[in-house]
Amino acid sequence: MTERKSPTAVLREGPRTLTEDQVREIEQTSLDGVLHVDIDDVIEYVHKDLKSLPDYITLYRRYLKQRWDVYDLDFSQDVVDWTEKMTEAERESFIAIASGFHHGERQVEIELPVFMIGASEEEKLHIAAQIEDEARHTVFFDRFYREVVGLGGDDIMAVLDASFPWVSETFVAPFGLLAYQADEVRRNPYDERARVRYGTNYFLWIEGVLALSVMKVTLSYARWRGFLPAYYTGFTATCRDESRHVQGGMRYLQQAVRKDPTMINEIHNTLRTILASSGVVSRRIYYEPLGWTDEEVRLLFRQQLRRKLNDVGIDLAPDIEDMLSRAQPVLAGG
Amino acid sequence: MAAPGFLTSEWAGAVSDALTAGPSVQARAGKLQMYWDFFEKIKGKYASSWALVCRDLPGHPGRPGHPGRPGHPGRPGEAVSLLVEWGDGVVTGCQIAAPGDPGAGIHATYTLAMDYRDWKALHDGYDAQRTVMYRKMLLIEGDLLEFFKSIYFFVECLAVIGGVPAEYPQLIGPS
Repeated sequence: MTERKSPTAVLREGPRTLTEDQVREIEQTSLDGVLHVDIDDVIEYVHKDLKSLPDYITLYRRYLKQRWDVYDLDFSQDVVDWTEKMTEAERESFIAIASGFHHGERQVEIELPVFMIGASEEEKLHIAAQIEDEARHTVFFDRFYREVVGLGGDDIMAVLDASFPWVSETFVAPFGLLAYQADEVRRNPYDERARVRYGTNYFLWIEGVLALSVMKVTLSYARWRGFLPAYYTGFTATCRDESRHVQGGMRYLQQAVRKDPTMINEIHNTLRTILASSGVVSRRIYYEPLGWTDEEVRLLFRQQLRRKLNDVGIDLAPDIEDMLSRAQPVLAGG
Repeated sequence: MAAPGFLTSEWAGAVSDALTAGPSVQARAGKLQMYWDFFEKIKGKYASSWALVCRDLPGHPGRPGHPGRPGHPGRPGEAVSLLVEWGDGVVTGCQIAAPGDPGAGIHATYTLAMDYRDWKALHDGYDAQRTVMYRKMLLIEGDLLEFFKSIYFFVECLAVIGGVPAEYPQLIGPS
């Protein structure tokens, strides 16, 4: 476990170097032990293997060792923190950010099965594991909203309905696109160009950029203040799961480009579409109560994208670099 | 005065007026001005067209073969489309097209389709963003990446269309 620092310290420090002990702690710790793992180390761990991406069987074997039981989490202290210790401003900021994840996890769960059809047999194992991960993450947020935030409902959709008013209108850009891309893949499951476009949005943008940025904001707040231990535990374990998803997704994109260099055009065109509507937000979300400024969130956002692309050897076209400099973070993930 | 029937030419006229006017003051109040500036920027240069298909339109009074108001195209169970054409920030064409109509072969830049029950849900207040995200309305023809560059504009317009007063036929049987 590293020293507890301010939420944004890592932005100034730059990439960390993880020791073998830290990697072992992240990879092997049980759910109980996750509470003591630093979220910045887990996010660094996501990038650790991007330069030499693990194969799908390795990722599947990690899944078997790292899966956790969402029903083992005890949210009783989180309820005390939420109702008695956090300020109204902190709760409002937190829920405005977390709701994008509540809905995002559901989206990435249901839009992934079609991608399995055209995958290799080894990748199918990895995707099957990822679908189970995403289902578990959906339950995690369902429990958090019911038990901590206090939203009621007879079923999972009812709780999603209750949290939807906090979801920004800009959520539809990446997640609506994902839904339509999933339908495109459903109609033509072996269309490699459609799969690369889907993979760019799902694995690179939603999971690699949006999800890791939002995770960082809420988890570093929880760690900094010492609040919401079950949220921190479950969502940090979720981040560890995401490391496998991002690495598997980057492996897919990297292999697709190596096999057919013109696939880079599909990646670039998908990013152009995403970034075309990323220069605008529909709601003002106040990050300050969670220890962040707007500019720090934007910096985090850009760092996440650049690191993924640099590590897997994908260059950006100049016009995309320009669009990226104007992008506003969509507070959502999956 | 009774509201026009859903997917009638009278309704299409009301949709055209509503789209040209844009989202209501109430809808605008809940979102930042920069979002609406972006919306207006897209609207001002939008030159594409949408064929918005309604599948499984149920039969109802007023349809051919039924007594009632004239002007309802198509037959029960058929797919009927609302064709919306844009240019210079205004709707330049808004009409209904049903199989067999002279305009049925009209080509739109984007064709999107949705079941009747989801059209009715949109009219009853179901969120337009979730209508897209939950794949209730799907793009069945057109360039997906180009379409999504203007997705906020489309979603806000879809909400406007859903809000246009209309008489929606009752669903018969299991839905």
